[in-house]
Amino acid sequence: MNPLRRAVDNWFGRGDASITIPPMDGAFRPNDLLDLAQPNLRAPAPDCVASTSRGVVVSSDRSLLRVDKPGGAEVASFETPISALTGLPDGGMAVALTDGGIGFVGGERGGAALAKNPDVACITALAPASDGALFVANGSATNGPAEWKRDLMEKNASGSVWRVDPRTGAFTRLAGNLAYPYGLIEDAGSVVVSESWRSAVIRIFPGASGRKEPALENLPAYPSRLSRADDRSIWLALFAPRSQLLEFVLREDRYRQRMIREIDPNEWVAPCLRSGVTPLEPVQQGGVRQLGVLKPWSPSRSYGLVARLDAAFRPIMSLHSRAQGRRHGVTSCLVADGRLFFAAKGDGIVASAAL
Amino acid sequence: MSVASPDTPLLEMRNISKEYRGVAALKAIDFELRRGEVHAIVGENGAGKSTLVKILSGAVAPTAGEIRLDGEPIQIAGPAFARRYGIAMVYQETSLVPTLTVAQNLYLGDEKFYNRLRGVYIEAQQFLQSLNFPVDPTAPVASLGTAKRQMVEIARAVRLNAKVIIFDEPTATLTPEEKHHLFALIDRLRKDKVSIIFISHALEEALDISDRITVLRDGAHIITADARSFTRETLIRHMVGRSLTDELYGRAADRPRVRPPGEKVLSVQNLSMQNFVRNTSFSIFAGQVTGVFGLVGSGRTETARIIAGVVKRDLFHGGEVRLNGKSVRYRTPRGAVSDGVVYVTEDRKSDGFFETMSVAENIYLGEISSPGSRGIVADAGETDALAVSLRKRLDIKTLNSDASVVELSGGNQQKVVIAKALVQKPKVIIFDEPTRGVDVGAIAEIHHVIGALADEGLAVVVISSYLPEILSLSDRILVSRRGRIVEELSPEEATSEAVMFAAVH
Repeated sequence: MNPLRRAVDNWFGRGDASITIPPMDGAFRPNDLLDLAQPNLRAPAPDCVASTSRGVVVSSDRSLLRVDKPGGAEVASFETPISALTGLPDGGMAVALTDGGIGFVGGERGGAALAKNPDVACITALAPASDGALFVANGSATNGPAEWKRDLMEKNASGSVWRVDPRTGAFTRLAGNLAYPYGLIEDAGSVVVSESWRSAVIRIFPGASGRKEPALENLPAYPSRLSRADDRSIWLALFAPRSQLLEFVLREDRYRQRMIREIDPNEWVAPCLRSGVTPLEPVQQGGVRQLGVLKPWSPSRSYGLVARLDAAFRPIMSLHSRAQGRRHGVTSCLVADGRLFFAAKGDGIVASAAL
Repeated sequence: MSVASPDTPLLEMRNISKEYRGVAALKAIDFELRRGEVHAIVGENGAGKSTLVKILSGAVAPTAGEIRLDGEPIQIAGPAFARRYGIAMVYQETSLVPTLTVAQNLYLGDEKFYNRLRGVYIEAQQFLQSLNFPVDPTAPVASLGTAKRQMVEIARAVRLNAKVIIFDEPTATLTPEEKHHLFALIDRLRKDKVSIIFISHALEEALDISDRITVLRDGAHIITADARSFTRETLIRHMVGRSLTDELYGRAADRPRVRPPGEKVLSVQNLSMQNFVRNTSFSIFAGQVTGVFGLVGSGRTETARIIAGVVKRDLFHGGEVRLNGKSVRYRTPRGAVSDGVVYVTEDRKSDGFFETMSVAENIYLGEISSPGSRGIVADAGETDALAVSLRKRLDIKTLNSDASVVELSGGNQQKVVIAKALVQKPKVIIFDEPTRGVDVGAIAEIHHVIGALADEGLAVVVISSYLPEILSLSDRILVSRRGRIVEELSPEEATSEAVMFAAVH
């Protein structure tokens, strides 16, 4: 962009320097449906849900837990925390760990593991390809999955999407320069990826060109994992809301750099999976509290949001846990047995809603 | 001069006729107004109501007939004569001088040799307070909203100690509270034996406030009777010969199909303009009618005018408008029109058309500013063909395309404004009060056009202060309050109470 134009836009707060966020209306009209969903399992930081031959399974720290069993019967556990999980067509699971390892549980390849690729150390999502391969989203080239907040505040766009052949263990890079790819799904010969820091869902066409085109842009929150239901509709989890304050901080480079240097990440002016837990955190959810009750429309740093998209990736409806809700930080969701299962990582709960 | 008996009607009009170029606007109308009565005149668009009262106010001379005041024949040769006879008119579109202050307008034409401005302001302040009108007498009229301008207009008529006050659509722009004040004022005037002629398309108001009602149809007198003898249904039957209530204002939720949203066409994000629009955000989708309801002053019109490039948002951090995902900022309406964003104004007389130009020329003006236009080079054949096709499509009732717009009734004028917008090939069309000052027959036709545009896949926005209109037309309802959109309702959820609650609280 023309530097003069950029300077003018910065001064007037317009163009790329507009501090605006899209409204939550239309299909994103707020409701309390996530809070009304039936709780299935309480677990520390449940992250990724997958449909397997053993029912719906959720990753929680180092363990895989069954959602349909009281107390969450453990399916498997690992030495390193799990960063991504997906169900495979044979009923098994592919599991990615925070150290970049990928292993298989159940199914044909149960117990197998793939050799690590040093360029793929921040696996945020996995998805099976129709030819038996595995698509892998690598969120960042510099930060691990637990440091997603730092990656946003550093305004990185170093993520990539890979195709892995489980038979040979070969990694093929499909696209790079992505702003934290956090969800994947195969769709009509292409890979659809949620790009968190650009608040968008894009379509990547595998091949030499690595062509990308937008599927859904200008989302009101940061998107994470994608899943497809039997009726071909797509479900998208959005793990934290955008706000004008955050957009402002993201524009103020010196402020941000100093904040990163000097302040505890939990107290950054940044989105989070659950806010309001400590009096030290900034903004105090907008301070919109009356008689001790937080107003649902408060501009909070955390939120619960799941969106249903049609086959053309247009939002149809959404489920919310608003500022005062208790199902924040939804990082994953899927439809199984006619119910929508979702993992609210911020509040440590897996719940399901009838559809 | 003979003294009139108390039983003599204050005002009588006998066999009043008016023809425009051989077309009869009024056909031998008889009308009488008693002392201290509120007399409503109702009728479809083009029924002759405005012509009748224009004759009384001296704006138009009758072709034939006689007018008597207190039993004495009078000639009303102009507005000054009407004022002298104690006949004052409160116009639907106000006749104030926008560059003068409220007080100056109140005393316009009644100035003394030496005017002390401070004294005028104090007097005007006391007078406005006595009427319970919250208007600052020192404010220039241009800075006032339509509702407040109307208040000034009413105050001016009251100040002139008029014996007859004619209200032409006085409530179209008023909030419920302001309406309440107006009706209280009319009641007070009635007790003071001032006679009032009340023209309104809101039939409930005519039924509520008037003592007698006269119905006109196609320039002819149909009936005059006590208001109590009418119901809304019978009134409409007299006006149009058919029942339109359900057709007009059935709720959208009761329709067989509420249109689903298509692509998000317009995303308004954190838009701000002074105190009128405050950090408002909303989206507009293709293929459906989005109704925007709000009280007067809630920032609806200003928001629409920013989107359409008529006015500018705040220079610093004024927010963003995204059209099909692309950030846009229009400095003039032409840019918006080029991108397919068209605004149909609420004030058709000031902003909608050139009243002395013909229907065809006005419609062609829309074409000139549309994308791919050849500018001011007008092809007569093309102009006529365009006018004929749009007259047919919108059923604009005029003898030919060469008729001046000023000669048309309010509804047909509105259809010309809509025609002008349609030739601009819009993708997003914003109707601001599309049926204000329009009769029930034309309302149904305009509603049909609006629905058809949404069915064609256009993103249609309808801004209205009339709740039944919003409820019946909209596939999605947004409520505006104090400069921002505060609520979104689906047709199933939208009851009058829910929408009004959101608009007020």
